[in-house]
Amino acid sequence: MSDPWQECMDHCIAVTRKAGEMIREALKKDISVMQKSSPVDLVTETDQKVEALIISSIREKYPGHSFIGEESVATGSSSILTENPTWIIDPIDGTTNFVHRFPFVSVSIGFTVNKEIEFGVVYSCVEDKMYTARRGKGAFCNGEPIKVSGQEDITKSVVLTEIGFKENRDHFKTMMSNIQNILTIPVHGIRCPGSAAVNMCLVACGSADAYYHIGIHCWDMAAGAAIVTEAGGVIMDTTGGPFDLMSRRLITASSRPIAERIARQIQQFPCGRDDEESS
Amino acid sequence: MADLWQDAMDHAVAIARKAGAVIRDHLQGEMTVMCKSSPADLVTMTDQKVEELIMASIMEKFPTHSLIGEESVSAGQPCILTDNPTWIIDPLDGTTNFIHRFPFVAVSIGFAVNKELEFGVVYSCIEDKMYTGKRGKGAFCNGKRLQVSGQTDIKQSLIITELGSSRDPEVVRHIFSSMQKILCIPVHGMRCAGSAAINMCLVAGGAAEAYYEIGIHCWDISAGAVIVSEAGGVLMDVEGGPLDLMSRRVVAANSRNVAERIVKEIEAFPAERDDASEAGSA
Repeated sequence: MSDPWQECMDHCIAVTRKAGEMIREALKKDISVMQKSSPVDLVTETDQKVEALIISSIREKYPGHSFIGEESVATGSSSILTENPTWIIDPIDGTTNFVHRFPFVSVSIGFTVNKEIEFGVVYSCVEDKMYTARRGKGAFCNGEPIKVSGQEDITKSVVLTEIGFKENRDHFKTMMSNIQNILTIPVHGIRCPGSAAVNMCLVACGSADAYYHIGIHCWDMAAGAAIVTEAGGVIMDTTGGPFDLMSRRLITASSRPIAERIARQIQQFPCGRDDEESS
Repeated sequence: MADLWQDAMDHAVAIARKAGAVIRDHLQGEMTVMCKSSPADLVTMTDQKVEELIMASIMEKFPTHSLIGEESVSAGQPCILTDNPTWIIDPLDGTTNFIHRFPFVAVSIGFAVNKELEFGVVYSCIEDKMYTGKRGKGAFCNGKRLQVSGQTDIKQSLIITELGSSRDPEVVRHIFSSMQKILCIPVHGMRCAGSAAINMCLVAGGAAEAYYEIGIHCWDISAGAVIVSEAGGVLMDVEGGPLDLMSRRVVAANSRNVAERIVKEIEAFPAERDDASEAGSA
């Protein structure tokens, strides 16, 4: 039986690679930076250009499909997930890294049908690592199969998360105390590479044992969710319940015991939802 | 005028490359992990083997030189810097990363004469990036010249630090307090990559504006210090004075502006000096 979405995935990989080249070219020049919701929420012309390139390329081939793209949403497009085939796009995941030329910068594209993730592609373009996963068909990095570490003991784990300034003092304090509480379990170490999509791929290929984050977006997680799952990992909500793509939070890990241990340790704070209609 | 120590530096590059190949090889196999000072202060047989390889190679070519190596010091060797030409070696910086196959693992070799750093070599072996710096001759990565970032506005800066291997609640409290204060300046962001030597090279190459840490050792920073300095950066102590190689603390930044601003927010805490055990001995 032929795979109805394989053609979409092949197209996705091709356009992602083109997008990655555009990003690498931009890295050679000056980058002018704008702020979105806060002084640490950055965007550049490259984010916008890359998203336009991706969407126009896909729209040309698949005019009936839907899109949720970070920069389109920022300028007012809907971020409601419907049953329609939908491309969920982060043109540059790790914009702060991009601005500073810190080496973890990726293009992330997840594809859903009937609200279920069918495939994910993450291209870590400075490292030239193309991560892909098709539902039921395994996960790969540059064509080589990848799998999670399998680690079940939290005290032998490396955990990824991100540390950033938050204007809300309480949220900031909770974020920091979560990191402190995980560190002192104790774990082997905590790393903050700066790109959610790359973080998920690092868990998928076994270089880290877990990644958790409150406050990211569906376009940061959709592709990575497919890749980690197909690499044998688990993904869940930060409360320990089922993963919710629009919830703006996740825990992904090499095993259920590690994910659950992290869920028990961290405190929630409000982060909104991607499918909330803003008033 | 003959270029003093060029011979030694060429040897450092060659042996770092060999050591890096051994590390890459060992990444494929089983690892036995041991703990040193805490459950997060790890060492493997690879650390020990690679240090033996490096030291044997140096002693053969430069038999009168002194050596300070992380694993030898752990095993009881003195850690005193004298005027004698001295090689300061971390055979595997980022042991936790190595164990987990997280991509930042380096061989770090610094070289001092009359207690002044003459050159530094950091080989980020998974990435295959050879960073070098020689006093007065610039800093390079795989032959390409390195230059720190030109960003001197702290609010537009990216800062690297580490959470460290101590799990002592008091130490952790100080570390988090410093991080919070710096984050709330606010800076663009903070990164933790897991290797002090590579962190310094990232600053030297302009990928971040500063790196600071309390708790590292002389072998983590001696090579990186030359590389940052030769790339146009500055080094200082966490309390603002000059860098003290044996103090267990470092600030490496692209500019005095950024370094001094960070120093204002860092909450220092005690860390036993690398040369402390020799103090007061007969």
